[in-house]
Amino acid sequence: MIDEQMAVFIGSGLRLAVPIIFAATGEMLSERAGVLNLSLDGMMLMSAFTAALASWATGSPLLGVAAGVLVAMAVAAVQAVLSVTLRANQLVVGIGFNILALGSTTFLYREIFGPLSRDPIPGFAQLNLPWLAHIPVIGPALANQTGLAYVSILMVVVTWLILKYTSFGLAVRAVGEDPRAADKAGISVAKTRYLGVLYAGILAGLGGAFMSVADSNTFTENMTKGAGYLAITAVIFGGWNPWYTLAACLLFGFATALQFLVPALQLDVPVALLLLLPYLLALVAIAGFVGKSRQPSALTIPFERGG
Amino acid sequence: MALLELSGLTKRFGAFTALDDISLLIERGEVHCLLGENGAGKSTLCNLVFGVHRPDAGTMTLGGEPFDPRGPAEALQRGVVMVHQHFSLVPNMSVAENLMLGRASAVLKPQDIIVRMEQLAAEYGLEIDPEARIDELSVGERQRVEIIKCLLGDPQLLVLDEPTAVLQPGEIDALLAICRQVALRGKSVILVTHKLGEISRVADRTTVLRQGRIIETVTMEGADIRSLVRSMVGRDVQSAGSVLAAAVDIEGKTPAKPSDAAGPVSPGEAVLQISDLVYRDPHGVPRLDGLSLTVGTGEIVGIAGVEGNGQTELGLILAGLAAPSAGAIVVGGTQVGGCTPQEITDAGVGIVPEDRHAVACIKELSVAENLFLGAIGKFSRFGLLDKSARRKAAEAMMRDFDVRASSPDVSMASLSGGNQQKAVLARELSLDPLVFLLAAQPTRGLDVGAIEAVYNRIRAARDDGLGVLLISSELEELMAVSDRIAVIYRGKLVGELAAGAFSREAIGAMMSGHAHV
Amino acid sequence: MVMKNPKLARVAKGARLELVPLQVLVPVVSTIIALGIGLLIIAATGASVLEAIEAFWDGMAGSDFNIGASINRAISLALVGLGFIFASRANLTNVGGEGQIAMGGMFATAAALHGAGDLPLGLAFIVPLAVGTIAGAVWGGLAGFLKAARGTNEVISTLLLSFIALPLVYWSVESFHLLRKPISDVSSLPESAEIPDTTKLPLLFPDNGSPLHIGLLIAAIAVVVVWLVLKHSTLGLRLRAVGLNATASRRAGMRTSFYVILAMTVSGGLGGLGGAIMILGQQFYLTSDFSSGYGFDGLVVGLLSRGSAVGVVIGALLFGFLRSGSINMEISAHVPSAVVLICQGLIVIVIAGSAILTNRKVTR
Repeated sequence: MIDEQMAVFIGSGLRLAVPIIFAATGEMLSERAGVLNLSLDGMMLMSAFTAALASWATGSPLLGVAAGVLVAMAVAAVQAVLSVTLRANQLVVGIGFNILALGSTTFLYREIFGPLSRDPIPGFAQLNLPWLAHIPVIGPALANQTGLAYVSILMVVVTWLILKYTSFGLAVRAVGEDPRAADKAGISVAKTRYLGVLYAGILAGLGGAFMSVADSNTFTENMTKGAGYLAITAVIFGGWNPWYTLAACLLFGFATALQFLVPALQLDVPVALLLLLPYLLALVAIAGFVGKSRQPSALTIPFERGG
Repeated sequence: MALLELSGLTKRFGAFTALDDISLLIERGEVHCLLGENGAGKSTLCNLVFGVHRPDAGTMTLGGEPFDPRGPAEALQRGVVMVHQHFSLVPNMSVAENLMLGRASAVLKPQDIIVRMEQLAAEYGLEIDPEARIDELSVGERQRVEIIKCLLGDPQLLVLDEPTAVLQPGEIDALLAICRQVALRGKSVILVTHKLGEISRVADRTTVLRQGRIIETVTMEGADIRSLVRSMVGRDVQSAGSVLAAAVDIEGKTPAKPSDAAGPVSPGEAVLQISDLVYRDPHGVPRLDGLSLTVGTGEIVGIAGVEGNGQTELGLILAGLAAPSAGAIVVGGTQVGGCTPQEITDAGVGIVPEDRHAVACIKELSVAENLFLGAIGKFSRFGLLDKSARRKAAEAMMRDFDVRASSPDVSMASLSGGNQQKAVLARELSLDPLVFLLAAQPTRGLDVGAIEAVYNRIRAARDDGLGVLLISSELEELMAVSDRIAVIYRGKLVGELAAGAFSREAIGAMMSGHAHV
Repeated sequence: MVMKNPKLARVAKGARLELVPLQVLVPVVSTIIALGIGLLIIAATGASVLEAIEAFWDGMAGSDFNIGASINRAISLALVGLGFIFASRANLTNVGGEGQIAMGGMFATAAALHGAGDLPLGLAFIVPLAVGTIAGAVWGGLAGFLKAARGTNEVISTLLLSFIALPLVYWSVESFHLLRKPISDVSSLPESAEIPDTTKLPLLFPDNGSPLHIGLLIAAIAVVVVWLVLKHSTLGLRLRAVGLNATASRRAGMRTSFYVILAMTVSGGLGGLGGAIMILGQQFYLTSDFSSGYGFDGLVVGLLSRGSAVGVVIGALLFGFLRSGSINMEISAHVPSAVVLICQGLIVIVIAGSAILTNRKVTR
């Protein structure tokens, strides 16, 4: 009984963490380059909707993911134009995109899917890797995931390698820390930041698409429910480090999954308090009460070449 | 054939013409100095060559090919490198990482950089630990990293923008020697400076800029230094006296008299007493290390020293913007160490801070608002501002202190640096009570006329019985204005000279920590 | 950058003069463009544009009741918007309006349900309003404190505080020992009991059926006070100085931390007052999502106004009427109200993106 519940809990915790892992990992790189995308939630929501739509129209979840990623990249591209080239307030632009994403996906959903039956859309099957399933307790939960879930972990590794061992990663770090110095070293601040934001867009797109075509096989209005904000929170909590950010995402995923486990175990803990836990932790983290995490110096500050 | 050819370069910022029809040849293997006052256009010219800005008119060729860099990246590609006045190193990265920035292949190869660093160390004597983090290095070491960064790519042209301002005398010699080494290897060097002493030691040719135009280009062999100075400032130095000499740092020139004709009032009782002042920065590094100093009424005490030896921290502590780690500061009987800025002001301390834009004024606010920034409540009724009364008071103050602006309501940013500084002086010297004035780098970035006005104000304050502490990195300025000069080195005073006993050599030696007097 | 000669100073001044119409032009033009796109979208769905506009107009201003309801919506938006421009005077961006409304509404409900109803002399609704204001002020002030004491970016902290406040409201309405109404009622939805009649805000025109309440007067007073403080008071100048250059302000004797906390506290208090008025003026009971969208709408109002109190009034009325219209449009003309969200999003993005036009400076 308890074992079974634990397996369900771990499984749902992981599933809830995957979209945040995708989005937070991309966002982490973008923030290291100095651009904060509050629009992350909007990118995910638009991608979730587009992936559902494309998967339903073509019958191929893979095409759905591709379409979702493309739309998220388009949002990211506009965000980059506004916040890098036009030096707009990154936070305000992000909020604008989230309102726009919520409005447009809700509108289109009602217009396109409204009259149709709510059949599940084509999605990915779970892989059921036997060699993972043998691990006690966590094994079944680890094995019963869609391929996209493993890709999220792969992306964390890739992002870590990029930041640590490539000159692009070095440029990203320099641009987020001291764009003037990077510029004078011959690095294009604008290009680096554009790439950073697009990278965040690709990963947010994967995260959003995961929600609709890999996790729930459907789209619902405002289905991200603030997952993008949670991802940004995870980046802060993770101190702009890929591995700590991954840990924060898993923590948040399990904290969210607790709301299903707690009633099942008949524990008397208000679900609402579990919902606010990640944000409270992040607030404590960013206020510097635990550990010492320092944000990139040039985060949210547009760069303008001066004399 | 010349390496770099500039023809008809013009650069405007808004309605301001920073460079006007500049044509110039830089030969291979020469050290070419650019000489000019602040605002003459030297830095703008460098920034055009390095692609930071683009010219509004005119063309450049490099090695015979057209050269029109759209950014530093393109300039670097063509073998043009630059060491800026303000270093462009990422502070929380290692030396090796900074050196790899912008020039590494797709995957980082720290080993290649370390090998190349060893070669440069052998060639020029530029040694530094590749693993050290930039924010742990001294100013001189950081500049060394900048130069290594420039030389890594085997450049054709090395541009140095006021590189010696931050260095100690010994470090300056080493830097000038490196410039010669670079030129000997057939590369060209453009060196920006306003110090004639350096030019005569290193330059092959010198170009003088004034108000965005080239006045003349001279070959240094057998050149007349005095005529260079005349071209630079537009009038004869002799007639203008010690102020101009201070501004251009003519080597060997001794100021006529330590003070003006009125002479110092004989110093009275102590108005400022600093004893055993210690200040540790957030990393625990001692920046002030047991500094003791007394300033009496009616005297100007100058603090000489190479930048970065604790002057900035001393200024911040006296202004109430940093709290001392230990020691006492007493002004007119009141203990003010670690007090708030308001308490320090109440004790009768006026502050002309080193950083005019960051500390002394708010450039977006109007002149009147800045003149009464510390007394906003003075012109108010029931919490609402009485703007007409404030304007009247501001107009009177601007007349008294010769602050030139079309109205007290224009923004501070629209004033020239000199008028901004006069406004700051007006505010601080109008404080009541006032017994002591700190003037930190008070003439930095000002033109000659404004420098004269600032000196006169400081002397007048002294004659009114104030105690004045003058912190400056310009030795000639200190010698021209001070009644007494103390030398700071590594957070301590290492010696003191009384009026009449000032000597460049003695002060210079103490500044570099070599001698005690 | 310092300007070196008087000629340049004149140019800079000229550029600033030309900004004034641009600052009005940009919000107006972007609003018109966004509404135009909204109409195009409606047309694209095949719905009758005329019918939609008619339903929209009817919902906004078709009757005394609808006008009153629209203005009531505008009142809360105006208060949040005023809070936004108050904080931005000190160069602080308060994006936590949603959380401040939520806290204000929740605590106002608690006060109204527990004791305030029996108070005389109008205190029955004044006390809950005050309690709600204080709750919002604490929530905003907390972000100010974190900024002053720990250097925490107020955008991130106010956002996080909003995400903390919303579950707290949810918690309060689903817990019987907190604000949830007893299960014995007909429905058992997670919401509070209705507040006592004495705590409801008095209506301005009780005879003609308009729901317009005295919140309008409160908002009007707030507009005048905020305008006076920001434009003509010593406090306004100090806030501005601290926001522009904290070090110089500190040197001039101002306690910068105090002003940062004060700005955020007042800003949050205005949001809390807005939330309290929503409960006491029109909703009368607390639900977990009563604040939904009002915080971001108020933020957009504050942005549109470009720091002007009068601009806040115009923006709040625009959005109040838009919201009422969109609800009726969905009911009568079957056009999803999400179209209005699309318009709002576009307005925010266009205005933020055009800041480079309105903020350009002569740089050297």
